[in-house]
Amino acid sequence: MFIIDILRRSIRSLLSAKTRTILTAFAIAVGAFALTLTLGASNGAQSYTNVIIKDNFDPTELIVTNDDAIFSTTDESKPKVYDQNFGSVTSAGGTSRQIRMLSDSDLTRLAQVSGVESVRPALSVSLQYITRDGQKKYVGNVQSYSAYKQPTLLAGSIPSNLPDKTIVLPEGFVPSLGFSSPQDAIGKTVRLSVRKQFDQSAAISSLLSGDTSALTTSLKTAPTANEQNFTVTAVTKKPSTLIQPGSALNLFVNEQELVKLNDYTTKGTASYHKYLSAYVKVANGGNTTKLNSVQASVKKEGYGAQSVLDTQKTITQVITVLQGIVAVFGLIAVVASVFGVVNTMYISVLQRTREIGLMKALGMHKKDVKRLFRIEAALLGLLGGTLGSVVAVVAGTLLNPVISRQLALGDVRLLEFKPTQIGLLIVGLVFVAILAGLLPARKASRLDPIEALRTE
Amino acid sequence: MITITNLSKNYGKKDAEFTALSDVTFTIADSSTVSIIGKSGSGKSTLMHIMSGLDHPSTGTVVVNGVDLFTMKPAVMDNFRASQMSFIFQSFFVEANQTCHQNVMLPLEIAKVPLTKRRKLVMEALEAVELGEKASNLAGSLSGGQKQRLAIARAIVNKPSILFADEPTGNLDSTTGEKIMSILFDLNKRLGCTLILVTHDADLARQCGMRISLKDGRVASVETVPAKKGQQ
Ligand SMILES: Nc1ncnc2c1ncn2[C@@H]1O[C@H](COP(=O)(O)OP(=O)(O)OP(=O)(O)O)[C@@H](O)[C@H]1O
Ligand SMILES: [Mg+2]
Repeated sequence: MFIIDILRRSIRSLLSAKTRTILTAFAIAVGAFALTLTLGASNGAQSYTNVIIKDNFDPTELIVTNDDAIFSTTDESKPKVYDQNFGSVTSAGGTSRQIRMLSDSDLTRLAQVSGVESVRPALSVSLQYITRDGQKKYVGNVQSYSAYKQPTLLAGSIPSNLPDKTIVLPEGFVPSLGFSSPQDAIGKTVRLSVRKQFDQSAAISSLLSGDTSALTTSLKTAPTANEQNFTVTAVTKKPSTLIQPGSALNLFVNEQELVKLNDYTTKGTASYHKYLSAYVKVANGGNTTKLNSVQASVKKEGYGAQSVLDTQKTITQVITVLQGIVAVFGLIAVVASVFGVVNTMYISVLQRTREIGLMKALGMHKKDVKRLFRIEAALLGLLGGTLGSVVAVVAGTLLNPVISRQLALGDVRLLEFKPTQIGLLIVGLVFVAILAGLLPARKASRLDPIEALRTE
Repeated sequence: MITITNLSKNYGKKDAEFTALSDVTFTIADSSTVSIIGKSGSGKSTLMHIMSGLDHPSTGTVVVNGVDLFTMKPAVMDNFRASQMSFIFQSFFVEANQTCHQNVMLPLEIAKVPLTKRRKLVMEALEAVELGEKASNLAGSLSGGQKQRLAIARAIVNKPSILFADEPTGNLDSTTGEKIMSILFDLNKRLGCTLILVTHDADLARQCGMRISLKDGRVASVETVPAKKGQQ
């Protein structure tokens, strides 16, 4: 028999038992539906991760700490011995972890590691307030502008090196600071104020020397307001994805300005010129081997170092586990549907015993009889797979905006369907259905035509 | 030419062994009409199945046109059957939920006749049994006699050189039965195909050029009548 004849006969057989065909295909469709959604969510999560990382990290940089503790889990059951050289970071759940801080000499040492292009401390300065003439004062947070971020600008421009005394303003501040539009803010002056910390060492020395007048004035006037003027050079659009919700309001100045602000607030405290972490920019860091080799060298120097790749890996691992769970349910549905296919195919063979006997008597090859039933099973798989994935894609496409709104994901679609993947999934299901049809097909091909024709 | 030599068929094993055919030997000339007669259970159907290669003999050989059927590989045997033989079974075995056209097409599909030639052959066969009008009707909607005619159309569509018919008129009234037999004898005349009929009907048997009578699995008599109905 020609394949076309076999195909036509299979289709005819499926059509002659419509209810049975639809119910069996439906069982496969459930599996296809679950797996399509899993794949969609997996793609979505992957691109969401990539967008987050792209928006928040420079992939050519390493995040370096003085020791590896921050990146690894330690035994939390025992209290840790106090070390005065350690800064202390309190992580969620109240367990505190001691983190050794980086000093300026560490930064110098890091800069000398071969392959390192530049080193900058990871700083974030909390403002006492930001304001403008005739406006309220607002709290805020300043970070250094990294050209990598390439935020979307609503107005103004950012030169490759942000000049001193200029500031990049997020759109959230525009109405609050009394600007009528982002364009209106460009070139205007805003005032930042940082709080001077109480200088313990100065206080102690003045107490020891007996001359307490300086101390009294400092106490009376504290906290000292230190207002500085910055010119707005650009207004950025709120990014669609953020790791921390509040970071949408981060203000950006250049590296030197940030260091000055930081020095001012930390002067006289234990954290003066001490940094929790630093960004080490790797020359040609886009090249994974370069990045990895510098990461290894930095670690060899005794520092902890993490690249974006590590972060990505960690997030991906979590996503993979979650997907695995959903995929397992999808696979269980597929396995269950396999029994449905086996059952349906056996019934089909049984119902057509006489027809098979006749066809064999007329000289139909065993392998063509097998093919007849394998194609019938394959069509069931194709029907179920297509049905399930099409419903999943339609449902996913309709739900995407709702999910994104609920989870405040911005422009990201959580379910992202790829035609090739869905195609492969359907092919896989067709294959599974064929496997399920193997035994019934074999039974059919082995029917003795004389016996088969005897059945009424 | 079909040469059957020392054919035996045993069913079952050891104590329960039953001999359905024993030491059957005869030769059938090309384009002849042959009837196999005998009481129920005498082994007629068994003989027909073995002659057509559907069943295997316990001993003995069947040589068709110089080829020993049971030394062929299964696939070769299938092709041989598809191209040379056809069958009309006692029960019609037409597919009720397929159209007459689809039913008759089956042997052509199996013999891999090109798609373009099929329609003409099918319509010819249907018209030969006067079912041309019913081509697109479902086989299930036909009367008993029409179904049997449909089975005949299916058997002749591929212009076989040997046609086996197991009691082709068994279920039919005498007029319909005669009509069907005239179609088959006509086919034998026109195309020269060998007709092998299994039958209870003595009248029908008498119309055949060769009569093989079976009794308890043995050949009781072989009569060859000089061509009466115009064979050869
Ligand atoms: N598969 C089988 N197993 C055991 N015995 C069988 C089998 N097939 C046929 N027989 C026996 O072989 C003998 C011959 O059977 P066969 O069907 O050839 O008879 P028949 O001459 O065609 O009879 P009928 O005119 O009733 O159709 C019978 O006694 C039958 O019981
Ligand atoms: Mg019989």
